[in-house]
Amino acid sequence: MSLKYVTPVAMFKKYLPKDYVELVDFGPFGKTQDEAGPGNMGQFKELMEEHPMCSGCWMAYYIRLIFASLPCPEETVTLGTAGCGRLAISQAAVPFIYGNYGDQNAMASGLSRAFRLRFPDKQKDVITIAGDGGTMDIGFSMTMHSWIRGERFTTIMLDNEVYGNTGGQESGMSPKGAVLKMAPGGKQFNKMPATDLAKAAGCVYIVRMSPTNIKKAAKIIRRAIFVAREVGPTFIHAYTSCNIEYSIPTEEVFADAKLREKDRFQFEEYMTDAAKEVIDRIEAEEKAAHRAKKGIVEEEVN
Amino acid sequence: MYYVAKVNADMCAEYKCNTCTLYCPEANTLMFDKVGNTSWVDEDRCKGCALCVYVCTDMLSRNCITMEMVHGKE
Repeated sequence: MSLKYVTPVAMFKKYLPKDYVELVDFGPFGKTQDEAGPGNMGQFKELMEEHPMCSGCWMAYYIRLIFASLPCPEETVTLGTAGCGRLAISQAAVPFIYGNYGDQNAMASGLSRAFRLRFPDKQKDVITIAGDGGTMDIGFSMTMHSWIRGERFTTIMLDNEVYGNTGGQESGMSPKGAVLKMAPGGKQFNKMPATDLAKAAGCVYIVRMSPTNIKKAAKIIRRAIFVAREVGPTFIHAYTSCNIEYSIPTEEVFADAKLREKDRFQFEEYMTDAAKEVIDRIEAEEKAAHRAKKGIVEEEVN
Repeated sequence: MYYVAKVNADMCAEYKCNTCTLYCPEANTLMFDKVGNTSWVDEDRCKGCALCVYVCTDMLSRNCITMEMVHGKE
């Protein structure tokens, strides 16, 4: 997709569904983060809506945040696989490709290469958003190989530490001793060290976090996408609790995310020198553009 | 018949705050009205998780949001 395909012809606009027209007029297509970004969610029409996720799902919240912080939603393609996350990701107004049981990173490898050949003058973003099962258990080999090959796209792991979609089996990312509905004896093995594996496999930008600070979380998503455009594979390991399988009361989901930030999901950011260079350059450009815009507004006021 | 969030508009308008809209897991549900300077809830979409109540009451101690029972429209 591109902005040209998203925008309807003026004379046909009245025949289009209301939701679609609203999305073009008040959505984030072709707008900057100051106009339609995570900082003013709730004031523009968001890409994702009416998803079937459970009440109070922190994963749904993080997915909402991902779509709000996309630097260029009209040039983005998301990939996912079986799991809870795809229920919401596939509802968003961004092209979505459904991978067959964990092959999202293998597909994204081909897709990002094809985009670079087909659109050499454009910057297309490929993002895989999958759960802990799709990324680290079932799709483990394909995830690792895509990183080892240095494929340039972003991998986001929504870690809820359980197979929430199928009734609560233990996953590789469940913590040791976790008692779940389909693992009543408690998990006997350790949690997989996902960020260490990513480091060993050659990811150039790796973050482990619990999305409690909205600005920080959005900044990291954008950094991961910008680095993946130029340098190499990037990986975000985010805690998105399952309030059903871990029996967290819905109103305490946020408090739980804060709690996890202090133990298993302490903030960790790793970047190579090349990645740091890209981040510094792009953030300096953004700051300059923001300052220039602010200057124009102040001049108008004066 | 189920619980949905309800924003007390008069109380909410006293603060220049849209924190609850940033933490709702449902997109396009808890919205912010820039003119009235208040948050409002799309009752048909609210799933009643009360996360916004936690944000408004426990985090910010402003108590502007409550959970209230709604009945299906005929």
